[in-house]
Amino acid sequence: MVAKMFKDVLTRRSLLGSGAAVAGSAAAAAILPRTAFAQDKVVKIGFLAPLTGPVAAWGKPGLDGCLIWGEWINAAGGINIGGEAHSVEFVAYDNEYDPAKARTGATKLIREDGVKFIMMLGGDTWPGAQPVADRTGMLFSTLLPSDLSPDTTTLIAPCEVHPIYNVTGVEWLADNMPELKTAVMCAQDDALGLPSVATYLAAFEAAGIEMQDDPLLFDPATTDFAPVVTRLISGNPDIVCLDTCYADYVHPICEQLFQQGYGGQVISCTADFYQQIVAKTSEEFMEGFVFQFPDFDDPALNDESINFQKPNEFYAEYASRYGADQWGAVSWEYASIMDLWKAGAEKAGSAEPDAVLAAMKEGGTGLHAFGEADWWGKDLFGIDNALVGNWPIVVIEGGKATIKEFRSIPEWYAKHGELLKKHMSAYGQMWDQRT
Amino acid sequence: MAKLATLLGFGAILLALPHALSFSQQEILVFLTINVLLVASYRLLTLTGEWSLGHVVIMGVGAYASALLSKRLGIYVPAAMLLGAVTAAMIALALSFPLFRMKGFYFLIGSFAAGEIIRLLWKRFRDPFGGPKGIKKIDPMPDFDIGIYAFDFFEPISYYYFALAVVGVSLWVMWRIERSPVGLTFHAVHWQDRLAEASGVNVRAYRTLAFVLASGFAGLSGALLAHYIGTINPNSFDVEQMVFVLTWTIVGGTATFYGPILGCVVLTILNEIVLREAGFEQMRPLIYGLILILSVLFMPKGLESLVRGAFSGRNARKNSAGETEAME
Repeated sequence: MVAKMFKDVLTRRSLLGSGAAVAGSAAAAAILPRTAFAQDKVVKIGFLAPLTGPVAAWGKPGLDGCLIWGEWINAAGGINIGGEAHSVEFVAYDNEYDPAKARTGATKLIREDGVKFIMMLGGDTWPGAQPVADRTGMLFSTLLPSDLSPDTTTLIAPCEVHPIYNVTGVEWLADNMPELKTAVMCAQDDALGLPSVATYLAAFEAAGIEMQDDPLLFDPATTDFAPVVTRLISGNPDIVCLDTCYADYVHPICEQLFQQGYGGQVISCTADFYQQIVAKTSEEFMEGFVFQFPDFDDPALNDESINFQKPNEFYAEYASRYGADQWGAVSWEYASIMDLWKAGAEKAGSAEPDAVLAAMKEGGTGLHAFGEADWWGKDLFGIDNALVGNWPIVVIEGGKATIKEFRSIPEWYAKHGELLKKHMSAYGQMWDQRT
Repeated sequence: MAKLATLLGFGAILLALPHALSFSQQEILVFLTINVLLVASYRLLTLTGEWSLGHVVIMGVGAYASALLSKRLGIYVPAAMLLGAVTAAMIALALSFPLFRMKGFYFLIGSFAAGEIIRLLWKRFRDPFGGPKGIKKIDPMPDFDIGIYAFDFFEPISYYYFALAVVGVSLWVMWRIERSPVGLTFHAVHWQDRLAEASGVNVRAYRTLAFVLASGFAGLSGALLAHYIGTINPNSFDVEQMVFVLTWTIVGGTATFYGPILGCVVLTILNEIVLREAGFEQMRPLIYGLILILSVLFMPKGLESLVRGAFSGRNARKNSAGETEAME
């Protein structure tokens, strides 16, 4: 009877409305931007990502970035929704990269805190939250578009189209260092590693770079990378590709490459906290290291095509609060998603998930952090819910990450899309292959 | 009579409990109920003196089997859950042949290795196990209406009542097993294995029986989990989860039936509700670890020793009051 009562009461709209009504009750878990704000109305945004555990490096820095974003927006008058100023408040829940905790967190954020939008890292945790999203119609974002499928209609990937942008790094390497002919790759054997493996394989094949061996997939529980690296460089490859390894793997692998005397090119999706890698190895060893995530003090981000607001100031504020060596791949990403959500809510004149989603996708294009981009993905994900455009290629020079160039992901895909689909299919990563 | 009243009162509290909780606490309550079955089944295994590091993987066997049976073969979910439990028990039976050639520390390491082999098989064979991403969109428990209550299994309250019934029956069966001659033999195998063997007890057979029974209940808890969250992957059953089970068991104590359950309940409430609500979300692993160290240092016999102490104190006071009355 009680469940029936809930079922009757629990419609999507009533849920969102009642959630807002009880929102004040969970203030203990709310994370308030420190700046005082004058706006009476508050719009709450959920942050459902790993804040502890081995994947915290892709959650915690993002929350830190959002807090700065929230303070700046509130200080500038908040978000104008339907002619009224709303201050923004982030409510965080640590899902520990566990689908069960993602479900609990999604329930809390929607039904108790009354959030209007939830940002997630995605991956293993999205399937846990998906039933809650389906039932409530809540708008979610992910950094991992491999979560997208035709039935994830309220899930968007508006910032990081992982791992597709990795093709730009390989393409840049091939154009600028044509002498590099052979490559090897290692990755953790999980939901983040495998689609990235397929993408790099397609990128290397498109660039005419030969793989010396099959990708070396290691267990995520691996802690000793000496044998992994020994096997990896045994054929003296021109390029060692670290795929999308977590920071906890990239650091020891780089140390091992350094200690075992590897002198070739290294390419990786991320190099979070790379200053620590430079300190553990040497500036010479890390010179020329290619990856995909810039420091936001880079002058190239001041170009007028860049939509991220005040990137250099954002980086300076982040570095002063948390330290420059705590800057990571996701430090700016969740904040950039908030830029898009803010624009969508202001355009829609409403914070309701369906209205914001429609406003965001209107016209089929959106203002991505790195320039105007298209809502794309039907071919690869079965739904056009990924915002894809340009992506930077970053190289470490003199111990500092430097943007070398921006390249277009859609342009690469127009030329080599079939290759990507071939490798994605081989690794069971196409949306219709997911069990 | 007093025992029956206590039991009925406790049952009434369990039935009313979710209505006093917030939505997210109801979710936590569901997972807690499932974990109670897991940790109680682990104690059943430890009765014979063997500690395993593969128990969570065995839970995963039940989860995977139940998910695949319902998803691929269309087997009715409750039947798939039971078959998941049977599969976990059968896998445990197969593993018992190599594992029970070892004892003590060697069994512990052997069980870890066996568990890792199973996890690697789930990762390696995308068909049918889904590889590292695991299995998604697992069939939920079908909703039904019993007139006075309509079960909607998306809702944590409905699933809690279902899980509570399953776990309640399972705990009762385990309790009966422990109190039966078989259970007493488990204790004998633990504390006096040579004497038991000399008395004609087939020690290895009893160890195998405890392992298989415990695994069956662990598999059932895995099936309950899989059909609630709708997704499972190999990382859901890794050694990190096993450390939680060990922690609940050690902090709770293993001398009594309720010891590990107490550990599970107290530590889950502390970790998932108290520390989160107190604003220590990101410091939870640190505080949790500190509590574990402190409890081992200052409460080596576990939380159950506090309960036993409280009851023995009360009984002593009752006895002394009775003696005083008699003297007067």
